[in-house]
Amino acid sequence: MQTEEVLAKGVVEKIGLNGSFLKNKRFDGDKLLLEGEILDHQIGIEYIVGVLISEKHGCIKSLEEIDAVGHRVVHGAEKFKASIRITMEMIEKVEQCSDLAPLHNPPNLKGIYAIDELLPNVMQVAVFDTAFHQTMEPHAYMYAIPYSLYTKYGIRRYGFHGTSHRYVSHRCGEILGQDVKDLKIISCHLGNGASIAAIQGGVSVDTSMGLTPVEGLIMGTRCGDLDLGAFTYIMDKEEIGLSAANTLINKHSGMLGVSGISSDMRDIENAVEEGNERAKLAMDMYQYRVKKYIGAYAAAMNGVDVIIFTGGIGENDINTRGAICLGLEFLGTSLDMDKHSELRGKEAIISSDDSKVKLMVIPTNEELVIARDTMEIKKNSIQ
Amino acid sequence: MAERLEDYALGKRATNTKGTIKKVGLVGGGSMGQEIAVEVSKAGIDVILIDLNPDRIEEIKGMISNLLDIRINRWGMTTGDKKAILSRIQFSTDFCDLVDSNIVIECINTKKSVSNIESRKEVFKSIEKCVGEDTVIASNASTVLIADLAIVLNHPERSIGIHFISPASSVDIIEVNKCVITNQVTSDIIEKFAKVIKKKIIHVTASPGNISTRLIIPLINEACELLMEGVGTVEDIDNTLMLGFGMQLGPFALADKIGLDKLLKWMEGLYDEFGDKKYKTSPIIKRMVRANLMGKRTGEGFYIYENEKRRSKAGSIINLGREI
Repeated sequence: MQTEEVLAKGVVEKIGLNGSFLKNKRFDGDKLLLEGEILDHQIGIEYIVGVLISEKHGCIKSLEEIDAVGHRVVHGAEKFKASIRITMEMIEKVEQCSDLAPLHNPPNLKGIYAIDELLPNVMQVAVFDTAFHQTMEPHAYMYAIPYSLYTKYGIRRYGFHGTSHRYVSHRCGEILGQDVKDLKIISCHLGNGASIAAIQGGVSVDTSMGLTPVEGLIMGTRCGDLDLGAFTYIMDKEEIGLSAANTLINKHSGMLGVSGISSDMRDIENAVEEGNERAKLAMDMYQYRVKKYIGAYAAAMNGVDVIIFTGGIGENDINTRGAICLGLEFLGTSLDMDKHSELRGKEAIISSDDSKVKLMVIPTNEELVIARDTMEIKKNSIQ
Repeated sequence: MAERLEDYALGKRATNTKGTIKKVGLVGGGSMGQEIAVEVSKAGIDVILIDLNPDRIEEIKGMISNLLDIRINRWGMTTGDKKAILSRIQFSTDFCDLVDSNIVIECINTKKSVSNIESRKEVFKSIEKCVGEDTVIASNASTVLIADLAIVLNHPERSIGIHFISPASSVDIIEVNKCVITNQVTSDIIEKFAKVIKKKIIHVTASPGNISTRLIIPLINEACELLMEGVGTVEDIDNTLMLGFGMQLGPFALADKIGLDKLLKWMEGLYDEFGDKKYKTSPIIKRMVRANLMGKRTGEGFYIYENEKRRSKAGSIINLGREI
């Protein structure tokens, strides 16, 4: 861990469904893909650990080599403002947050239980997707709805992608050789899910996702900001209930809904080149929405020093990134077309040398943050 | 030799797959069979749907596809979901293809206006010939007692009633009724099944009509009485229950949705069993079935159905609502 070298990376997918599989890639390029029955998260974790210590595809010799395990936990609500060592008390609190993230928190907990059973003496650490945004002030996180709904159900904005925004903003300080506390950063995490954060003094002051990941930017299949009056009107006109309405804004909307083509930006760009007008409209809307948020967050922080692009689209999609950057000159940005148009998936400054506001691309690395936090907490517990 | 995932198991749990539901067989590709196929497949379980009529198989495939398209058009799912659901449903005319099913549900729907208990018994026998000893054999029948079907089995302890209510996609309950000989293993598998397909179990003590059909039939019959007495119109009676008591559909819209022929069969089943007048089929329903006005399925019942929309009929009930 001291070298922060990745020994192996992998995934388990389609848990509990037909066609479930495990994928693993070792540091030396050894690749493994195993299909078979993976009934639940607990069994999935058993297989992962089994592969890690196996002679043929493993990267460690025995379970004893594992000092700690870090977990990504999606929703920490207001209970968790930083990564934390997992204890029974903490697990109870995460269970209480499950209402807010019914799809994510329960499987996250299953992973924790599985490790507890396999490696009962190993320390476990939870890293929350929402924790980084817990520094938001009430005026940024509250919705203008009856206050009692906040006290009763915790209805407020929490934000997501916190681990990613935290990583890129701190990395930005390192690259520029400046203390992140002295910078005003706007971080654009543009992937299939997308969010943008205003980071001042090294902490999140605002972010575009809310109680759920639907709010904010236009995404692959999520609508982002939408007039709630329109939403209830649609439900009435289409005579749909809560479940279909949820599917409508989460799976049928966004780039897919507008373009009618795909949720994948590459497909949409191909369609734009072929002259498809709705694809063009979807692209224009996407870029415009990001730009609007950049303007808003510059205002929220009374200025901006760095705008960071990360996530699949932010790191690799030159057209989209370029279109967002152009027209922000009033803020003091100046895009270096040469640097920008050659850059995919690498750390770089893509603004010109004299640009008052720096434009940067920083590939995100959430796993590294989880590993670092876990090591830090482990170290502190020994001292 | 190819590597197997199981070789990497650390605990015993991973390789112990006993009791998991991997495949569900359905016998009968009518509307309920189609709806159940979709619900089960949606939960990630393989489905084998048996219909004895080979000409019907293509039709059933088309109808399931339409069912899913309607859901997509009404924003309930995506085309990706549809593809995944269809990929898990296989069709066959041969009972032998049920062989590796963990549960087989009989959901036949004969068009004849007589009781179909004998056909259901035959189906139960045919299923048992083809499946393993630990396969649960269930029936979706609503007015037939599971005990009456179980007696034809060599292993009746594996039989159980599971009644889905249409539309299965949005009704979150199933009525489960055991007969005295149903064993605990069978109940446990059905508990697990209900959990996987995300339905709440309503346990019903074996009685024809369960709770749902017993309550709905007198309601529809009484609504017909009101209509015949001229107390209110079809629309007024439906609106009273919808707006007055928060029901999603009034009794007439509900009757049309169920299908008047199916309703007639339920009514006769319950009347035979209990002999109580409240279950005796209303003359209006009998007349409408004779005139092939079965409801939504045939485009006309108590209402007219055009392009997925329902509209009222203007004529007197003496003419079954038609204007002469």
